[in-house]
Amino acid sequence: MHCRDHAVQLHRAREEIAAEGELVLIGQASPRHSAHFRRRLHIELPVLADRDRRSYAAAGAKRATLGELVGPRSVMRGVRAGRRSGVVQGRVVGDPAQLGGAMVVRPDGSVAWSHMSEDASDNAGVAEIADALRAA
Amino acid sequence: MDTGILRTAKSRQHTAPPARADALADIVLPDSEGDDVRLGDLWSERPAALVWLRHYG
Repeated sequence: MHCRDHAVQLHRAREEIAAEGELVLIGQASPRHSAHFRRRLHIELPVLADRDRRSYAAAGAKRATLGELVGPRSVMRGVRAGRRSGVVQGRVVGDPAQLGGAMVVRPDGSVAWSHMSEDASDNAGVAEIADALRAA
Repeated sequence: MDTGILRTAKSRQHTAPPARADALADIVLPDSEGDDVRLGDLWSERPAALVWLRHYG
């Protein structure tokens, strides 16, 4: 649930964020899956497909333990997010234990800010990402 | 090491975001239309936010 909810929240804030910089989503599947994901959730943001998760590794993302994936904290935050947005969990595509994150990169290649997920419910807020882009 | 039906990590891992995105810059990924995108091109002119989704579910 967290992933879809997070993507929808970013989509809803896309104009605010676009004023500050580029915003791209990366998922761990094929372009066909990316297209289906965008179409199904009505997401207009670009979604790149990283089937072998090279960029996840380069970004320093981690894989979750069972507790970090389906522990009480993660489940409760997912339920709350689902109630708020109306977005529900769909079929998992890719490695279910792979966690994501967010990063803002400056034109000189330096990383201005990052938030890599510590568990399945740990996503950077939209406002955090917009603020980091603005400050970069 | 992985374990269980979800192939979760057996022990707690740590995130390791880099100080520079050099290792990301030359990675080329297809977009939803199948067109290749070099990640470094995303931040060549202005800052870019990259968001890695956990999965598409």
